[in-house]
Amino acid sequence: MAVCIAVIAKENYPLFIRSVPTQNELKFHYTVHTSLDVVEEKISAVGKSLGDQRELYLGLLYPTEDYKVYGYVTNSKVKFVIVVDSSNTSLRDNEIRSMFRKLHNSFTDVMCNPFYNPGDPIQSKAFNGIVSGMMVQTG
Amino acid sequence: MSVPDYMQCAEDHQTVLVVVQPFGIVPEDHFFKIYKRIASVSQVSIRDSQRILYIRYRHHYLPENNEWGDFQTHRKVVGLIAITTCTSAKDWPQTAERFHGQKEVYSSTLYDSRCLVFGLQGEIAEQQRTDMAFYPSFDECSDVERRVEDFVESIFIVLESKRLDRATDKSGDKTPLLCVPFEKKDFVGLDTDSRHYKKRCQGRMRKHVGDLCLQAGMLQDALVHYHMAVELLRGVNDHLWLGAALEGLCSASVISHYPGGTGGKLLGRKPSISQTTDAGKRHRPGAQEVLIDPGALTTNGISADTSTEIGRAKNCLSPEDIIEKYKEAISYYGKYKNAGVIELEACVKAVRVLAIQKRAREASEFLQNAVYINLGQLSEEEKIQRYSILSELYELIGFHRKSAFFKRVAAMQCVAPTIPEPGWRACYKLLLETLPGYSLSLDPKDFNKGTHRGWAAVQMRLLHELVYASRRMGNPGLSVRHLSFLLQTMLDFLSDQEKKEVTQSLENYSSKCPGGMEVITLSAELKLPPVPFTKLPIVRSVKLLNLPVSLRPHKVKGLLGQNVSTASPFIYSPIIMHSRGEERCKKIDFQWVQGDVCEVQLMVYNPMPYELRVENMGLLTSGVQFESLPAALSLPAESGLYPVTLVGVPRTAGNITVNGYHTSVFGVTSDCLLEDLPAVKTSGCLVEVIPSLPRLQLATSLPRSAHTPQPMSKEELSSSVSVQLFNGETQQLTITLENIGCEDIETLEVTSKVVNTKEKVFSNFLSWKLEEALSHLPLKPGLTVTLTVSIQVKLDFSGQENLLQDLNDDGISVTGLPICSPLRQVLKPRPETKPISNDSGKLEYSHIKVRCAALSSSNQHTEQHRHRNEERKDMKTYSMRIYLEWIRRA
Repeated sequence: MAVCIAVIAKENYPLFIRSVPTQNELKFHYTVHTSLDVVEEKISAVGKSLGDQRELYLGLLYPTEDYKVYGYVTNSKVKFVIVVDSSNTSLRDNEIRSMFRKLHNSFTDVMCNPFYNPGDPIQSKAFNGIVSGMMVQTG
Repeated sequence: MSVPDYMQCAEDHQTVLVVVQPFGIVPEDHFFKIYKRIASVSQVSIRDSQRILYIRYRHHYLPENNEWGDFQTHRKVVGLIAITTCTSAKDWPQTAERFHGQKEVYSSTLYDSRCLVFGLQGEIAEQQRTDMAFYPSFDECSDVERRVEDFVESIFIVLESKRLDRATDKSGDKTPLLCVPFEKKDFVGLDTDSRHYKKRCQGRMRKHVGDLCLQAGMLQDALVHYHMAVELLRGVNDHLWLGAALEGLCSASVISHYPGGTGGKLLGRKPSISQTTDAGKRHRPGAQEVLIDPGALTTNGISADTSTEIGRAKNCLSPEDIIEKYKEAISYYGKYKNAGVIELEACVKAVRVLAIQKRAREASEFLQNAVYINLGQLSEEEKIQRYSILSELYELIGFHRKSAFFKRVAAMQCVAPTIPEPGWRACYKLLLETLPGYSLSLDPKDFNKGTHRGWAAVQMRLLHELVYASRRMGNPGLSVRHLSFLLQTMLDFLSDQEKKEVTQSLENYSSKCPGGMEVITLSAELKLPPVPFTKLPIVRSVKLLNLPVSLRPHKVKGLLGQNVSTASPFIYSPIIMHSRGEERCKKIDFQWVQGDVCEVQLMVYNPMPYELRVENMGLLTSGVQFESLPAALSLPAESGLYPVTLVGVPRTAGNITVNGYHTSVFGVTSDCLLEDLPAVKTSGCLVEVIPSLPRLQLATSLPRSAHTPQPMSKEELSSSVSVQLFNGETQQLTITLENIGCEDIETLEVTSKVVNTKEKVFSNFLSWKLEEALSHLPLKPGLTVTLTVSIQVKLDFSGQENLLQDLNDDGISVTGLPICSPLRQVLKPRPETKPISNDSGKLEYSHIKVRCAALSSSNQHTEQHRHRNEERKDMKTYSMRIYLEWIRRA
């Protein structure tokens, strides 16, 4: 399942980043940070050609030796990045999509919280729970 | 071939390689001066044709790489320019011998060579030789460029003859098999008569001719040859050479599409003659048409023959195709372990093309592939080079984060444990270059705006690395600066343990090199601004305190009465005089006095999980000379708000502004300016300092009263003494006045005022002789004068019924008279009054309070103490009033 899930603000700084605790956390920070290059590139390319109607799901950003990095951009340019293990071949594109959708819904809930200040790191327990759910079990 | 040339770009395929080498004793700076001049001849238009020959110069080239010259002719060293010094004729034979030795190295591929000899004069130097040029010294060689051009032309002649030779050699039977070094053993014992083999030979030769055409400036011919080569080689599955043919095709197309070059400004080309006359960017009239059919060229330089245009459009790949073919070529190269360098270089070339086409994502795929190309055992230096170039290429396609990532990897490689002499300096330099990629600025001002927004974990790592690298570089000053920055900006992200570690190492470094507020200049464009510790401790509010009541200046009312001293003659004005900016620094409505200790109160707290020692904490002011008296404080771990009073003495008069404070924490001094700290609450920091005033200390012979009366008004202060007297008794009260200031006291006034309303009770209660005291005036600093006041109590009981009652009300007890119960009540011992004598025979007593109020107000410096334009000249007065007061005892 996902080994790292990150939410990145419009201005490209992290709002939320969590990875499997057993592994080197910094490594995932680097992975997600560099994936933003590809995300930006993809957004700018789409923006030019299609205009308003665009797919939020960006698909595979780039594969590394050990991980696959998937991206998703909301209409307000908030980015979600999910890193999964390359060895996990059972994971289908559709499942990744549904993970992103779930993440997006939960993020919307966070934004609806009147006490949440947009732009601050996300500390919501409910959101954390959703993320934990995606990092543990499959599907 | 093991060493890739990361600077390669597609245009390099049309260049010829010339190696410029020194031998013998050639000072390096002279060599590079000459090398630069030679290298300036990067393109030569050949006489009698419109073709241009491009030259690539190298001062080092591995002979091993030269062996790949048949595979791609631009890898072949075709020219050699040797540079040497020779001072005497007798050294000459030896020098000539060595020149031949130099030629030997590249003999298999060399078309021509030259030797530039410096320092030789005499008959040898006078002989005319084509392969030698003699110059008396490194400064007198004006025609080097011309010699090089001649040399290039001679190379061209050889190249052209080879091209024609190969191009016309179509017999097929005798076509030799060109091969790369690692293939040689594979072809031993192969059937040389098979069709398959022949086709292979033809295909490879075709590709080779294409290369030669490209070098000789015949772009269209090259394209045709490459196309044919691709067809032939595809048929025989000769993948390596097929890849090369495809790459040649790409290169030729790139050259025709992007005449500006893809290699960046390093390889930027001068517009050639043919281009200047050409309007369309894509239509570069190839000079080969001229050669084939001189009639095709019209006077304006554009080919009138449309057939060549059509042919060009067909042969030349479209921009999309170029990338497709590059991909294909690279996939073929990828099949051969030994062609790693070729594959890597092809990737680099493709990325450069994609960068021009602004197709960053595809470029990143090529780069991603390049990362995984295994070149076998790389030396550390090669690894560094590889990572740096990857970083540069990522930068080129706008992937700043990736670029920073690889640059950091390169930096780490510089100091890998396997390197015997780690290059900490290089590492540090590379790390600094990664800063923008991690959106990290080393200016703490950028972090003052609200909460930290960035990749804290990654940035912290980078800062730690900077600290470590600068320490290993032997520059503790830099380490201290970086550590301070880390502590200041990343405080919220450091764990308690990390905070401890960081501060410990900071203390450690700063003991060697105390940190200060100066800007550290690393290079012209990179300066490290100072890092003030505004968070150690955190200051919440700054409040300027008024002087203690007894020392507050008081203005004596002028003789002309109260002048209204406002700036405007109007009572109301709709124009708001203060702008918003001034609000923060608005003037406070009290004054400080020159020479008096003034105080500012800060509310601070310590965010650290351990005790914080702040040394040398003082005020930063401007406006007047200010002597700050620094304080040292020790704040307990994670303290709450903690008041700290900073003191100082203004030494001149004027308006003083408190700009901030300075601290010294962990051996780092910092100046924290309030304007940079928007979070700090302040009620204004501009206050007027008035010229120094005299100070008078007053002492009396009577014991002080424990009872403090209410101050009568703001401007009057009081201190109390008490005395108990019986009716009719007289007592002397000595008042000692001492001048404890540093100004002369010039006048003294004494008045008395009875506070009690029942003044009818008294008659001539106090009396004094001022004359004697006045004779001592003006009172110099440090001197004293005494004033004797006699207190005489006389109560008048005459005929007023309610007098006693009144007295009781006022707390005056009259004993000895049949007085009722209130007395007892009154007489109850109270803490602040001594028990009154039990002797009922005594007449009465009164509790007299002598209040001495020193009202200090002076116009010692009238002209300086003027308020606004108020023109008034007061008498220099120092007035003292003594109040006597009945104290209410109830």
